[in-house]
Amino acid sequence: MKNLIVLMALLLVSSFAANAGVDVIVHPSNANAIDANTIKKIFTGKAKSFADGSKALPLTQGDSSAVTSEFNEKVLKKSSSQLKAYWSKLVFTGKGTPPKEASSDAEVLSLVANNPNLIGFVKQGSADGSVKVIQSF
Amino acid sequence: MYRKVILGCALCFSALPSYSEVHISGFTSINAGKVLSGSGVPHYGINEATFLADYPIVSVYNEDVSFKPESLFGLQVKADLGEGLSATAQIVSRGANDFETKFEWAYLSYEINDTWTIQAGKKRLPLFYYSDFYDVGYAYIWMRAPADNYTWQIFNYNGVNVLYSGDIGDWSLTGNIYYGREDDKENKLLSDFFFQEPTREIWKDILGGVLQGSNDWLELRATVMTYTNQRFRSGEPALWNGKDERDGTFYGFAANADFGDLFVLSELNRLDLDGNLDTVMLTLGYRFDSLTPFISYSAFEQKDGDDGEDHNTTSVGLRWDFHASAAFKIQYDEVEDNSTSLAVAGDSKAITIGIDMVF
Repeated sequence: MKNLIVLMALLLVSSFAANAGVDVIVHPSNANAIDANTIKKIFTGKAKSFADGSKALPLTQGDSSAVTSEFNEKVLKKSSSQLKAYWSKLVFTGKGTPPKEASSDAEVLSLVANNPNLIGFVKQGSADGSVKVIQSF
Repeated sequence: MYRKVILGCALCFSALPSYSEVHISGFTSINAGKVLSGSGVPHYGINEATFLADYPIVSVYNEDVSFKPESLFGLQVKADLGEGLSATAQIVSRGANDFETKFEWAYLSYEINDTWTIQAGKKRLPLFYYSDFYDVGYAYIWMRAPADNYTWQIFNYNGVNVLYSGDIGDWSLTGNIYYGREDDKENKLLSDFFFQEPTREIWKDILGGVLQGSNDWLELRATVMTYTNQRFRSGEPALWNGKDERDGTFYGFAANADFGDLFVLSELNRLDLDGNLDTVMLTLGYRFDSLTPFISYSAFEQKDGDDGEDHNTTSVGLRWDFHASAAFKIQYDEVEDNSTSLAVAGDSKAITIGIDMVF
């Protein structure tokens, strides 16, 4: 019994560990106040600019990556199939274009570090000094 | 869906550093179904049990299992020319038309700024909430948008469309105003089903507007559209009260509420065309992770006269998101056709299953 409890506790801890957290990042020169709701709007195509009027370009990662599922669930409050259904509706009616996709945290970091219009997300703790973390989830 | 091909034009226009990004995406539905029982419409020669799953495309199921009525394959090509200009074409091949491939959409789009976009060309007529993505089964819960609501014979138009997008507080607003016409030389629904003779259907001076607002959990949509109808049956103009044309006005309202796992979808529409034709739809669904069971009711009722068109459908079904880009669906429909002189396909009980994909 005791072993079982220990095992369950371990499983719980490891499932928390799998949910590593998500950092939302922008270029260091981006001084806009960007709250969770703004992030959600930018990533669902409902807002196209930052508060200062400059263009906001969202950058996502592949469907199958853990950080994407975590971002979708915590920030966009949608499962990946709900999100895909949402974008299908917009794409096939000419009303929107889904965010561009990067293949890894490293690619997101290097793209965001070089473009003040981009906003992306990476696994918590992987951001370096070349970008600015604006929110953690 | 997000696949992107960059066509470098460095070779063809080496002097110009211009290139266009071409996005290719698509959708497909492979559906199969059969009628379990039904009355047919013996006084119109429909002696077999028949389920009309879809009016405009005339997707008909009978007692033999069939894959053709609703299966389709669609491909969209969007060329992004930069500076807000793009050209989009969508071709769709349908089992109901023996997989003959047709351009359903072909339009130019110019994004003036973040708020306004102007489009011109051939587009889907955005009458009902689901009209303009009717073919993309993956984007909604049922096997098909409820047939009793989506009965109108014209579903495309050629014209211009101005799109608006903005927000007020927590509400995101989108809207559009469109103007155009459609001349369908041999309308399938009228020719094959209602009149059983070649029927040309013209909707001209189509002018419509849509306003949609959404927040975290609620989405509301209101629309109005007016048009002038002309019709030729076997080449002879149809007359209404001695005139060869008539005006129609369409009003629609939709409300969708999402409470996390539980959600409600609803639509209320009226077409005023020498009297009122009303349609309603209500769906309840619940998400258990990748499984989403739902129940739905939809109805069509002609308000004037004692023997107008009158039918309704009760459905139960399940959507299973078994893959990141594909969903399996199964649905049972019970149709009650209460009309006599305007009977459509009679009563029926039918089952359909299918897989919807986007790529």
